[in-house]
Amino acid sequence: MSATRRARPLLGTLVEISVDTVRRPPATQRAIDRAFAEIERVHILMNYHDPGSEISRINREAHAHAVTVSEDTWGVLAAARRMSAFSAGLFDVTVAPLLADAGFVSHDGSDTDALRGACWRDVELLSDRRVCLRRPLRIDLSGIAKGYAVDLAVESLERDGIRAGHVNAGGDLRFFGDLPSAVHIRHPQRPTALIPILSCHSAVATSAGYYRRRICAGREVCAVAHPQRGTLCDATRSVTVFADDCMTADALTKVIHADPVRGRHLLRWRRARAVIIDADPRTGECRLYDSASQLDVAATPARRASGA
Amino acid sequence: MRKELSGWSVFAVIAPALAAAPAFAVQYLTLEQAQQLMFPGASRFVSQPVRLNAEQKRSVERYATVKMRTSEQPVWRVEASGTTLGWFVTDEVFGKHEFITYAVALDAGGTVRGVEILDYRETHGGEVRDARWRAQFAGKRYGDTLKLDADIQNISGATLSCKHITEGVRRILALHQTALR
Repeated sequence: MSATRRARPLLGTLVEISVDTVRRPPATQRAIDRAFAEIERVHILMNYHDPGSEISRINREAHAHAVTVSEDTWGVLAAARRMSAFSAGLFDVTVAPLLADAGFVSHDGSDTDALRGACWRDVELLSDRRVCLRRPLRIDLSGIAKGYAVDLAVESLERDGIRAGHVNAGGDLRFFGDLPSAVHIRHPQRPTALIPILSCHSAVATSAGYYRRRICAGREVCAVAHPQRGTLCDATRSVTVFADDCMTADALTKVIHADPVRGRHLLRWRRARAVIIDADPRTGECRLYDSASQLDVAATPARRASGA
Repeated sequence: MRKELSGWSVFAVIAPALAAAPAFAVQYLTLEQAQQLMFPGASRFVSQPVRLNAEQKRSVERYATVKMRTSEQPVWRVEASGTTLGWFVTDEVFGKHEFITYAVALDAGGTVRGVEILDYRETHGGEVRDARWRAQFAGKRYGDTLKLDADIQNISGATLSCKHITEGVRRILALHQTALR
């Protein structure tokens, strides 16, 4: 099977679309164009750094008056809210000021102290797709929006009759048609080293420090926050979640990063699986934790025997 | 190493070998394919590389706030029935481990119509030697296991860098401002 692959810089990363080429090349290219257009739409609507995006408008105005948003933005905000509620706040789209203080997100000149006490409960979703903030805060949908964009692109390719392929937005990855036998995860400390993991889900997302890490209070941290503690997570850990859709996979990486113990029951709720990789920065040695490992290893004695 | 994660059992301990692995490279589009895709209505692509003099180079750098590595940029003037449709520019950016060639399509007025990646190359290392981890592949289709090391398209984790491309596009816009108007 030959594949047609293209990549564009979008959503702050490189987005790759790869599809099985069985139809005429021009039709395949047009299908890829339309899938990129879906991603671009999400990029424009939900870009935290673009003052013209809907998210920026919410951040600027919605504490003063309700702001009406597109169906896309509404859908992602509603999904974020469900995830926050089910995770008891481990997932929270209002942590941007925390990340800004650590230098991960650029400051917009506002007083982050004033924005800090806010949480997801301060975002109200009213009727007719109106959004209202109970207090000034900053919503950043970047991760979950990336997952959503990948899901939209896959749906668009399927609508266009593409049989199989994948969309990869910097590690938010979803397959359709044929599932891969394995997915490669980057080593948390040496991102060019790849660790293959067998997979049976169609979507995967990874959160880790890789090229974005900072020293904070003597600790190397990555751009994932613990919303309740107000701290950032260690850069020596990567969290990969396998799920049925990319938006869920991306959101769950944040939950597991924030609290692997409490976050675990959420994996079952969404029929997802998490792989945590802890790296020793000195030796590069990794410990790999897999939420499915007990089940996997116990269910297939042959594997255990060959692994012993 | 930090203490173990409570409630989770260590599935494997992996020591990545330091031996260098072959580079991973993807060619997304050839030059001609990118030209056809980005300007489907074009009749002709006229190669017209831009050579900047020292003053123009400074001007580009000032406007784009990034350095120009070379003073020559590959540029094609795109024609359709005798009129200029726009410009097709290729560029290269380097990161710590990656090397990216990409193309930018500008309309006649200098607005970006699109950006496509032509080539992406990355050097990676990391053969993994852990029995428990390797055991996950036991009982799987033999061909799949064999393919694992070569099959690097399914990578979850950040793409190495997109920041350089954003800067590069800014530089190309400045180049248009300085030398293509």
